[in-house]
Amino acid sequence: MLEIKNLHVKIEEDDTEILRGVDLTVPKGEIHAIMGPNGSGKSTLSYVIAGKDDYEVTEGDILWNGESILELSPDERAAAGVFLAFQYPIEIPGVATMTFLRTAVNAVRVARGEGELSVADFMRFVKEKSAELNISMEMLKRPLNVGFSGGEKKRNEVLQMAMLEPSLCVLDETDSGLDIDAIRIVSDGVNRLKSPEKAMLVITHYQRLLDYIVPDKVHVLSKGKIVKTGGKELALELEESGYAEFVNEAA
Amino acid sequence: MGEAATKLTVVRNPAEEGFLKTYADIAGTLPGTEKIVKARRDAMAVFEELGLPHRRVEEWKYTDLRAAIKEANPVAKPASVDAGALKSALGALADVDAIRVVLLDGHFAADLSNVDDAGKGMRIMPLAEALGDKEFAAAHAEIANVLEHDTSVALNTGLMTDGAAIRISGPHETPIHIVHATTAQSASLVTTRNTVSVGAGANVTLIESFVSLGDAGVQVNTVTHVGIGDDAHVVHVKVQKENAESLHLATWAVELSARCHYDTLQVTTGAALTRNQIYLTFNGEDAKAHMNAAYLQRGKQHCDSTLVIDHIVPGCESRELYKGVLDDQARGVFQGKIMVKPEAQKTDGKQMAQALLLSDEAEFDSKPELEIFADDVVCGHGSTSGAIDDELLFYLRARGIPEKKARALLVQAFVGEAIAIIEEHEKLYEALMGIAEDWLSEAV
Ligand SMILES: Nc1ncnc2c1ncn2[C@@H]1O[C@H](COP(=O)(O)OP(=O)(O)O)[C@@H](O)[C@H]1O
Ligand SMILES: [Mg+2]
Repeated sequence: MLEIKNLHVKIEEDDTEILRGVDLTVPKGEIHAIMGPNGSGKSTLSYVIAGKDDYEVTEGDILWNGESILELSPDERAAAGVFLAFQYPIEIPGVATMTFLRTAVNAVRVARGEGELSVADFMRFVKEKSAELNISMEMLKRPLNVGFSGGEKKRNEVLQMAMLEPSLCVLDETDSGLDIDAIRIVSDGVNRLKSPEKAMLVITHYQRLLDYIVPDKVHVLSKGKIVKTGGKELALELEESGYAEFVNEAA
Repeated sequence: MGEAATKLTVVRNPAEEGFLKTYADIAGTLPGTEKIVKARRDAMAVFEELGLPHRRVEEWKYTDLRAAIKEANPVAKPASVDAGALKSALGALADVDAIRVVLLDGHFAADLSNVDDAGKGMRIMPLAEALGDKEFAAAHAEIANVLEHDTSVALNTGLMTDGAAIRISGPHETPIHIVHATTAQSASLVTTRNTVSVGAGANVTLIESFVSLGDAGVQVNTVTHVGIGDDAHVVHVKVQKENAESLHLATWAVELSARCHYDTLQVTTGAALTRNQIYLTFNGEDAKAHMNAAYLQRGKQHCDSTLVIDHIVPGCESRELYKGVLDDQARGVFQGKIMVKPEAQKTDGKQMAQALLLSDEAEFDSKPELEIFADDVVCGHGSTSGAIDDELLFYLRARGIPEKKARALLVQAFVGEAIAIIEEHEKLYEALMGIAEDWLSEAV
């Protein structure tokens, strides 16, 4: 279970609070969606869960499986099962995607006490998972995300998620910039990962994605606070009325 | 008063005195015909006049040799080592299949070399022997004089003991590997010279490696002359991982003929102070030179890459990509001078020097110079330096890769872009990427 309690966050070198007391609980086996206007703090929340150190938690806590993860480094969190699919995946020239995947998979396996995969086992694994996401071996030979289209980058994120076998998945606007076919491929990939052992937090600006990834709950984040929580029908309401109501409410 | 002024003698430091004395002591024992004897004498006269370069000499302003060299080490005594020790010093480079010429403490070591395996179209001779050949010596004395304004080269001409004299024709799959190994257990001086003449249409890969088997500081001074014929293809790789006490002065003097291709890569992790100079001249039209380097330095190491590229004929292309990784108080220097003579229209010359600074105290100095006297040319240069990008680091760490490993991946990716120039030589590529990896794993 993911428990976020009264989370206050500011930027390291600035005094403005971005998250101003977020409370949120996602039990295992559930998918929760976070929606909200641009600038409301959705990406910040996802980064803080993953452990980016540009942010400072001034109050509150984040617990995963009953333990605070705030003191863990990003790689320790990944080993503990935390995975963030980035809104803007980073390009890394000079690092082949395949090398990166193997390094990452083996790093989390070692950290979890599972031991490294042999080259043959790794290749079998990567072939199976990338086929499901329509990712070619040629693409994996290219430097990480360099020259990838928007859709390729997002599929690559979901591939990493499939291969690192996380138990807490945070997807930050995985749908943005994708056409409907790409959304379907990505959503199918995410749905395949759904399990009673996993908690998922799906951040999106649009309701559209939630037609494919059906959430158990929808939360609205506005100006750094959860201002409304409801069932999946809340997403449809938002589609109708927009975010104006919440922006005013929070102000 | 006028009398007194003319009598003022140059003040030499102990090192300069020492090199002159060394020459006086050993000149009679050094190899070479009359012509070479004269070339040595002339070179030492230049050295006597100019001394070691210091920071007021423009080309050496970031690398003050007079300050760095406190004394002249005694000339290394020829030693012997067993093949196993050499193999382990070479590491993965030993596994790259090659015709090997081993120079041990500045002398050809026949027992460690396999020059007899050189096939048709490859002639390899110890330089000491070649210098005794009238025809070779006469030709060599000519080229030896060209760079004698550079006192590190003058010193080399004066004191060179041995090296490899190589003549290539036809295509060759198997590279030639000149191993420069030092074994000294006490401070010493090693001076080597190689000459490589590649015939028209020939094709060869030349590797020069520099390793230490001993712990003592060695003053290494090496010069390689390369002459490349029309339409020939040459890949020239240099790897230097000498011990951290050593001082390394290396000069390549390269002459390119029409339509030839010359690809270079210099990988440096060793020595307290390294100066890698390349003087390259385009003598024939439509030739291409692509020159890359990757150097990784830490502690107080200093690595200077100085290039002088002379476009004197039209239609040639020069490209440089120099990448340095600097930790602790290490210092990287890049000086790249591109000269385009009035006749050299349609010259295409671009250089890029980049440094990745792993510490706040590391320093990178870059001095590009363009001297262009033709109007229809494309020339440019760029230089960047900065720390590891935190966004990249976070992305890798968010995927479970521990910080040290993530940094190493990014450093390897950085130098990998330069090393990629020899990617097609799979074993060599792996060996050189491995050197970067070893360097990273040695970090404390
Ligand atoms: N690293 C940062 N530096 C400066 N401002 C930031 C940083 N991260 C987020 N912000 C600011 O915090 C607010 C929330 O941003 P973000 O979390 O990206 O919102 P969302 O993902 O909901 O669009 C915005 O006003 C944004 O400009
Ligand atoms: Mg966002």
